[in-house]
Amino acid sequence: MSVATADPPVLRRGLELPRAATLLRPGVILAGLVVAFFVVAAIAPALLSSGDPDKINLDAVLQPPAIDHVFGTDQSGRDLYTRVIYGARESLLIGFGATALAMVLAIALGGVAGLAGGVVDGVVNRGIEVLFAFPVLMLALLFVAVFGPSVRTEIIAVGISSAPGYARMIRGQVMAVRDSGYVEAARALGHPYGRVVGVHIFPNAMRPLVVVATLGVGQSIVWASGLAFLGLGVPPPSPEWGALLDAGRDYITKAWWLEVMPGLAIVLFALSLTTIGRWLQRRLEGGTAR
Amino acid sequence: MKLLRLSLSAAVLLLASVLLAACGSGTDSASNVAHTDGPAATASTKPVKGGTIYYGGEQEPPCLGRPEWVQEAYIDRQVLDSLVSIDDNGKVIPWLAKSWTVSPDGKTYTFKLKPGVKFTDGTPFNAQAVVDNFNYWYDEKTTNYSNLGEFPFYKSSKAVDDLTFQLDLTHPYSPLLQTITQAYFGISSPQSLRRSEAEICEDPIGTGPFILDKWNHGQNLEFSTNPNYDSAPANAIHQGAPYVEKLIWSFIPDPTTRYGSLTSGQSTAIYDVPTQNWEEAQGQFNTYEHMEGGKPVTLNMNTVAGPFADLKVRQAFAYGTNRKADVESAFNGAVPYAGNGALTLTTPDYDPQLADAFSYDPKKAEGLLDEAGWTQKNSDGIRTKDGKELTVKIVYAAGAVITQEGLTVLQDIQQQAKQVGFDVVLVPITIEQLFSGAYSKPNKFDIIAQYFTHSSPGVLWAGVRQFNQSMFEPPALLQATEEAVSTNDPAKQKAAWYKAQELLVKNAAMVGLYPQPVLVAAKPELQDFWLEASQGEPVFSDAFLSQ
Amino acid sequence: MSAVKAKRALLRILGALLVIWAVATITFFVEAGLSGNRAEALLNQMAGTTRSVERTPAELAPINREYGFDKPLMTQYVEYIGGIARGDFGRSYLQHQSVLTIISRQVGPTIALTVSALVLAWLIMLTRIVVTARRGRFLTGFGSGVEIVSAGLPTYWLGVILLVIFAIDLQIFPVQGETSLVGLVLPAITLAIPLSGFLGQVTRDEFEKVLEQPFVVSARTRGMGDLAVRLRHVLRHAVLPAITLSGWALGALISGAVLVEAVFARPGVGNIIVSAAQSRDVPLVSGIVVLVAIVYVIANLLVDIAYTVVDPRLRST
Repeated sequence: MSVATADPPVLRRGLELPRAATLLRPGVILAGLVVAFFVVAAIAPALLSSGDPDKINLDAVLQPPAIDHVFGTDQSGRDLYTRVIYGARESLLIGFGATALAMVLAIALGGVAGLAGGVVDGVVNRGIEVLFAFPVLMLALLFVAVFGPSVRTEIIAVGISSAPGYARMIRGQVMAVRDSGYVEAARALGHPYGRVVGVHIFPNAMRPLVVVATLGVGQSIVWASGLAFLGLGVPPPSPEWGALLDAGRDYITKAWWLEVMPGLAIVLFALSLTTIGRWLQRRLEGGTAR
Repeated sequence: MKLLRLSLSAAVLLLASVLLAACGSGTDSASNVAHTDGPAATASTKPVKGGTIYYGGEQEPPCLGRPEWVQEAYIDRQVLDSLVSIDDNGKVIPWLAKSWTVSPDGKTYTFKLKPGVKFTDGTPFNAQAVVDNFNYWYDEKTTNYSNLGEFPFYKSSKAVDDLTFQLDLTHPYSPLLQTITQAYFGISSPQSLRRSEAEICEDPIGTGPFILDKWNHGQNLEFSTNPNYDSAPANAIHQGAPYVEKLIWSFIPDPTTRYGSLTSGQSTAIYDVPTQNWEEAQGQFNTYEHMEGGKPVTLNMNTVAGPFADLKVRQAFAYGTNRKADVESAFNGAVPYAGNGALTLTTPDYDPQLADAFSYDPKKAEGLLDEAGWTQKNSDGIRTKDGKELTVKIVYAAGAVITQEGLTVLQDIQQQAKQVGFDVVLVPITIEQLFSGAYSKPNKFDIIAQYFTHSSPGVLWAGVRQFNQSMFEPPALLQATEEAVSTNDPAKQKAAWYKAQELLVKNAAMVGLYPQPVLVAAKPELQDFWLEASQGEPVFSDAFLSQ
Repeated sequence: MSAVKAKRALLRILGALLVIWAVATITFFVEAGLSGNRAEALLNQMAGTTRSVERTPAELAPINREYGFDKPLMTQYVEYIGGIARGDFGRSYLQHQSVLTIISRQVGPTIALTVSALVLAWLIMLTRIVVTARRGRFLTGFGSGVEIVSAGLPTYWLGVILLVIFAIDLQIFPVQGETSLVGLVLPAITLAIPLSGFLGQVTRDEFEKVLEQPFVVSARTRGMGDLAVRLRHVLRHAVLPAITLSGWALGALISGAVLVEAVFARPGVGNIIVSAAQSRDVPLVSGIVVLVAIVYVIANLLVDIAYTVVDPRLRST
C-alpha cells in the first residue's frame, strides 16, 4: 500500500506552541466557544441547566420547543435541552476516550513499525491491514454484541476500529521523518537515539495528526451514535447523544426536535473541533500557512 | 471563512428542521372505519377480482414453516390452515375440522375433517396428513419446541379413517382446542415435511388461501392465490379462493419508513402502526386493532432471589409505579393498560376484577418498604438495608419484544420507583439472548419484562410449569392450574383460572403493563380485510381492492 | 509483464490472502472463545425457552454432532479454514441454509449501493473542487465549508431526514426503494454526501498545493485557460490522496451501508450482519466478515492499479 504523496515535512525542534494573539479569526473563536460550551456541559452540567435530565413529567409529553423547554420535551416529558447538556459527558467521554485509545494503539503500532523497519515493519504493517479489513461498524458491532453495550464498550469498540487509520498515518510520518536529512545529521552528531526519537521524530511525526485527532473525536461520537441507532448504544435512560438519536428516530414526523436537536449537537461539536483542528494545523505548520 | 462554515452548517440544519416541522402534522378527514377483531358484520360492496395487496410487515423471521414466534405465525397463517379457529366471542369454530368430540376424561379428541381439501402441492388433506403433522411437531428429532411448550401432553395420534383424526393425550388439557387455533398448529403437507430443514424453512406448503412463490430475503415475500382454496374458517365472509391475485408481504422494520410507505401509497396496509400516528391514521385510513391473548407485557418478578423474594417489596414496587399513566402516555392512548398482569383482557376466562390491582399509591409503597426493613436511605434517596442498596435490574429485549413505547414505560417506571426508594437499572438484551434464557437465572435479574402471546388461558399453565420466569410456584397455584386443565366443566375451569390469576396478581409475581397490540391501518380501497381472533393474524382471503 | 512486476504482483496477492486468513482466524477464535457453551445456547435459542434450562448431554448430542462442537477446537478450526478455502462457509445456525447462499442472495444490493455511493461521492467532490477551489474568498470558503459540514453529518441522521423530506413528504422517491434504480438514489446520496466531504477536504488541500506548482504556472503562461488547466493538469495530481483513501472508503461505505439499509428498508448484507452478530450465528458472521475483507483487499489492489494509471511517475517502479 503506498503512502499518500506529501511534501517533505517541515521540521522543527520540539513542539513549538502557536504564538499567542496572532490572527484568531472570528470563526475559530466561535468554534472555540462551542467546544468550551460542551466541555463545560460535560464537566459541570448543572452550570448550564437547572433541570434534572431524568425527571419525567407525564403531563408535558412531546412538547415542541418553547420558552420553558427550549428544545422541547420527549416521550416521558423530560426536558430535551437538559438531556442534551447532561448527555455531553458520556458523548465526549466516548469521543475523546475512543480517539485517545486509538492514538495510543496507533502510536504503538505505527511508531514501532516506522522506527524498526524491516521484518518488524512488515509484520506490524500486515497487522494494521488486517485491522483495516474489519470495517469500523462491523468491528464495533461484534465487540458490543459480545460484551454488551456500555460507555466503556463503546470506547473500546470505536477506539480499536479507528486505530488502524491513525497507525498507518503515523507509520508513514515516522518513516518520512526518520529518513530525513535532518535526523541523519543529528545521529551523525552523536545524539542518542532516544533523544532523537523524543525530540525530533516523535513531535514532527505527530504534528499532522493533531487535526486528524480532532476530526477523529467528532467521528468517534458519530460512530458511537451509529451503534446506538442499531440498538447497540449506551442503555437507557442515558442521555448520551447517540442514545437520544435512537430514541427520537421514530418520532421524526411528529416530534422532529427529538431527532434534530441531538443531531445538531453532534454536528456542531464535530464541526467546531474540525475548525479548531485545522486552525491548529495552520499554526503548527507555519511554513505552509495561507 | 470559518465563520462562514459554521453559519453554513447552522443554516443547513435549521433548514432541515424547518422542513421537517412543516411536514409534520397529520390531517383529519373523511370518516373511516375502525375495526376490532373478526370480519365486518356486513360485506359492504360487491367483491372485485384481481389486484395485488402490498402489506407492510415488520419482522423478517429467520425461518418459515415451523413457526415458533407470533411474528412468524402471522406469515404462516397465509399458507397454512389449522383444524379449528376461534371467533371474537372466544368460541371455537370449525376450520379444517368440521366437528369434534372430546372424551369424558379429556384425553381423547376426535375430529371429523372437511372432505375434498387438497394441499397446494396436489397431495390430499386427510386424517393421515394431520397425524403426520402432529408426529412431526412432537418427534424428538425434529421437535418444534414451541409446540412442545404449548402443551407437552402429546401421546399419539391416529387416522381412524380417511376423514377422522384422533388425538390422544397423556393428561387432560382443557384449552387444547383454543390452543391449536394458532398458526403454530397449521397443517403442512406431509410431503413437504419430508424435505430438508432448509427447504421447509424456505417454503411452507399447506392448504391455505395463498401460495408462497418467492422469498426475497431482506425484502419481501411474494404470495399468489391458491385458486382451489375452499377451506376458510367458519366465520370467514366467503369460502373459496381469495379475490386478489397476489399478496406482497414486505419487511420494513423502521416505523417511520413503514408508516411512510402507507401514507405515500406504496403499501396497501401496514402492521404495527406507530402509536403516535395512530390517531391521525384513524382519520385517514381504515384501522384494525387486536390485543393479543395470553400474557400481557408484564414485569415478571424474581420471587426467589434478591429484594423481590420478599412479597412486601414486590407489592411496594407495584404500588410505587404509576403504570396506568405511564402506559397511556407512552402509547398515546392506543393501547390499554393491563392491570391484570397474568392474562390479557381478550383471553377467555380473563378476570376483570384484577384490572385495578395495585393502583398507584406511593405512600402505601413507602409504608410497605418500611415494614420490609428497608428503612434507611442513602444520599440519593435510595433505600438501604444492612448496608445494601435496594437496587433492582429490569431485563428486557429491545426490538419487537419491548418497543420504543415500551421502553418509555420502563423509563417512566424507573423514575417513579426511584421516588419511593428503588434504584432501578435497565438491562437491554437481544432477542436471541432472551430466547436462549441467557438472563433468566435467579441471580441475573430482578424483573424480566416480557409477553407471551397465546390464544387461551392455558398460558397460565404453561407459564407456571414451563416458562415460569418469576419462579413463583406455590402449591395453590399448581393446584389451580392443574384443576383448570383437567376438568371438563367450563364453570370449574373459569373458577380455577380465576384463582390462578388472583394468586399471580395479588402476590405481585406478575405486575402488569400492557397487552401486546396488533395495530393495522389500511387504505380505504381495501375491503373485507380482518384480523383473526386467535393471534391477530391478518386475513386476506376475503379481502379485495375496490374501484 | 516483467519478472519484477510479476513478482511484486504475486507478493501483493499473497499478502492479500494472508490478510484474509488472519481475519478469518481472529473471527473464529474470538467467537469460539467467548461463546460459552455454544451447543446449549443454540439449543435454548432454537427452542425459544426464555428460561434457561440445564441441558443433558443427550439433548445436546444432536447439535454437537451437526455442528461439530464436540470436536477439539483445532480440528474445528482446520475444518473451518479448509472450508473457506473451498468456498464453503458452513451453514447458518439459525437459518439452516448455507452461509454462501444467504450472503449471495443479498450481497447484490449492498454492492450496488456502495459502488454507486462511491461514484456519486467522486462526482460531487470533483465538481465542487473544480468549481470552488481557489476562486476567491467567498466561493472557496463556501466550497470548503460545505465539505466540512458534509463530512460531519451522521449517516443515518442524514438518511432519515432525506427519507422524510423527499420520500414521505414530497414523494419524489419511493419510500421502499428495494432493488429498483430510483430506489437507490436516496440511499446512495445519503452515503455519498459525507464521503464527498471527507474526500473533498483531502483533495482540496492537494489541489491548492498543486495549483502553485511550477508546471501549472508555466501552463498558464502558455495561455491555457483556467478550466483546462484545472482539468487537465491539476486534477490528475490532486486526486492521488483521494484515490488511496477510496480503498479505505469502500470499507467505511460498507459500515455506512449497515445503517442506510436499516433506515431505507433495503435488502443487503448490512441487516444480516446486525442480527447475525446479535444471535452469535458464528458461521454467518465469519462469512460476512471474510467476505468484506476480500472486498476490501480487492478494492485496495484496484486502488494501487488506479494509482499507477493516474500518476505516471509511479509506473516505472
